[in-house]
Amino acid sequence: MRISLRFVLSLAAVFGLSLPVAVRAQVTPERLDRAAAEPQNWLTYNGGYDSRRYSTLNQITPGNVKNLEQKWVLQDQVFGAWESNPLVVDGIMYVTERPNDVIALDAKTGRVFWLYRYTPSPDARVCCGANNRGVAILGDTLFMGTLDAHLIAIDAKTGRPLWNIAVADARLAYSITMAPLVVKDKVIVGVGGGEFGIRGFIAAYDGKTGKEAWRFNTIPGPGEPGHETWSGDDWMHGGASVWITGSFDPSLNLTYWGIGNPGPDWNPNQRPGDNLYSDSVVALDADSGALKWHFQFTPNDGYDYDAVQVPVLADLEWQGRPAKVMMWANRNGYFYVLDRVTGRFLLGEPFVKVNWASGLDPNGRPIQTPQPPGMPTWPGNQGGTNWYPPSFSPRTGLFYFSVWENYATIYRKEEQAYVPGRNFLGGGFTVAAPAPGAPTIGIGRRGPINNWTNEVGSGATVALDPRTGKRAWTFPQFDVTDAGMLTTASDLLFTGGREGYFYALDAKTGKELWKANLGGSIVMAPITYRIDGQQYVSVISGHTLVTFALRN
Amino acid sequence: MLAAGWFTLAAAPARAVAQVADHQYSTADIQTGSRLYGAQCALCHGQNGDGVAGVNLSRQQFRRASSDDDIRSTITTGVPAAGMPPFRLQPAELDGLVAFIRSGFDRDATPFVVGDAGRGKAVYDGKGACATCHRVAGRGARAAPDLSDVGAIRQPSALQRSLLEPSRAMLPINRPVRIVTREGRTIRGRRINEDTATVQLVDDGERLVSLSKSDIREIELGTTSGMPSFAGTLTGEELADLLAYLLSLKGQ
Repeated sequence: MRISLRFVLSLAAVFGLSLPVAVRAQVTPERLDRAAAEPQNWLTYNGGYDSRRYSTLNQITPGNVKNLEQKWVLQDQVFGAWESNPLVVDGIMYVTERPNDVIALDAKTGRVFWLYRYTPSPDARVCCGANNRGVAILGDTLFMGTLDAHLIAIDAKTGRPLWNIAVADARLAYSITMAPLVVKDKVIVGVGGGEFGIRGFIAAYDGKTGKEAWRFNTIPGPGEPGHETWSGDDWMHGGASVWITGSFDPSLNLTYWGIGNPGPDWNPNQRPGDNLYSDSVVALDADSGALKWHFQFTPNDGYDYDAVQVPVLADLEWQGRPAKVMMWANRNGYFYVLDRVTGRFLLGEPFVKVNWASGLDPNGRPIQTPQPPGMPTWPGNQGGTNWYPPSFSPRTGLFYFSVWENYATIYRKEEQAYVPGRNFLGGGFTVAAPAPGAPTIGIGRRGPINNWTNEVGSGATVALDPRTGKRAWTFPQFDVTDAGMLTTASDLLFTGGREGYFYALDAKTGKELWKANLGGSIVMAPITYRIDGQQYVSVISGHTLVTFALRN
Repeated sequence: MLAAGWFTLAAAPARAVAQVADHQYSTADIQTGSRLYGAQCALCHGQNGDGVAGVNLSRQQFRRASSDDDIRSTITTGVPAAGMPPFRLQPAELDGLVAFIRSGFDRDATPFVVGDAGRGKAVYDGKGACATCHRVAGRGARAAPDLSDVGAIRQPSALQRSLLEPSRAMLPINRPVRIVTREGRTIRGRRINEDTATVQLVDDGERLVSLSKSDIREIELGTTSGMPSFAGTLTGEELADLLAYLLSLKGQ
């Protein structure tokens, strides 16, 4: 063993190769804490616990980005939107595809090492996309939540399952679509199912055994603070899902999670009260799951404005003082800055047209202005933005995200009784259209012809100054966009959109520097990593994962 | 206002000719059907009418029924083998369900009258001169949208709106476009697709043209359709017949 290791090391010295797999370390909690210090890897869903999706890699620059070429592609073998975020660990990429497959591949060539295929129970019900958004890693173990609400530990080297536990009951329409968050020795997941009358929760499991360590109910039960914001039995099936991976601040030992909408979605009259902790961000102690603070963006929501966004953490100078803040562009059309130590509201500004509220009070609570029946509400059902991961660049100081402009919905409220496992929506909605019966925008692109057009709504990549909540620049797109963001230390912003263009923009100005037509919707954020001195950028478009690097 | 005008035009001849009374669908009937459908049918057939395999009620795709009476009888006798129970309903409720289905699940409940498709084809080819711009099954011009499957993709209310107020009913994608390129060339046509960087159109010579927006100096989208309104030129009966013909166009 020692001899072969020395042999390998000497080869590496002679040929200038990177360290071979055999001597690479496991992914320890310390490595996850300092993910930013290893930009060659992409170790967590959002590239690091602060969820900035900012990489210090700088080989690809505004000057040479035009020399990007496709290095390899991975074709998804499964039909359906592909919203997975790959991890890259020491040259190996781990990506999921529908419904719950995990693929390990060589991140340099795209050649596959192994494929693990899990078939969720036929009882699984997922409202708005039977997706999986990726895995988490700790040590040599990958963790995946499943559409039937299981959590599975998988050996990262063999692709064989190590343990498999039920997180919740799929027959009641609980599901897991997010990538788990690993903190220290624990794997943390939240459950989806808000459109089916679940009662949401976040739970932590021991990474070695799968034993539950703590659980936080996103709807407080009788006797718990916040329970008074529900009436009667509404809390038992009031939704408040957790769709998206949270963030973590090791210095405060707090994890942060965005909570989904209350149910039934469109009939707030049926569930009087603020409906905590729906449409909120909660700060939970990483070891115990105890609630440290919460902030609710949309009390008694009737618009499905769930707080399904990624909490982005940064330390900024705030009104002359250093501050630990959280930045949040919410589905309800407002951009927020919160003090992430206390949850105190610092700033809130609309970033798109808003008419469901006339403004925010000094505590950040919206002054709600419900529209008369039949009249459009801005922003529409899919929100001013949605789950697509934003980015924050400490170099430019700007916050980047996808927005939907001039897009409105007409809501219809109806009384609805809860039936276990069934849709629990309380009405419906139509998207405001320029001509009666004209095609409108929905979840996902419907084909290569844009016959809904920008008259129904259009997209944009936006850079916001978090100190003011105002736009620094706007890069308009003709169709709406569900793309996430990636920024780099060379001030590049990589993103895409439903039209299938993959863009490199100047992060300072929004100027388009390069684009490639990849032919399928880009509905996830790109990632970047480095192998053997070469920087790669990977993005999923339609059913294809495409990896670019500079021409050699 | 629009719907009322159409109804007045269409109602008189429909009442006069007894055999078309079966094909007259009022707002009240459609609304009755909509309520009943939500309560009794949606659980199995779905909000959009496509919950049962091989059946799409809002698009008039049935396993058995073809006439209005066929629909009535399927509802009243049920389809026990497929798990559909018989429904005991009042005649007015049956009329409502038929009207709601025939309207293509029109939640606005715009009234409409469907005449005779054979006579409607004569109007299409003759007085309406529709083939001057439109195309059906390979016959006619390409200046305006191809109508070969328009009966499968549009509600009756949308079709009659197009006949009466074409500019108001025009779908945004179909807007007439005038483009001046950087070289100074002017291109006119109908937009058929667009994205952030490019636009595609059928030009007035019926050629497919794709242009990069960076090559375009000026682009103007018209909001007025080139199609005339037939509100004043066709009788109510002719409009009902033309609607029947358009609804009969289901594509291949």
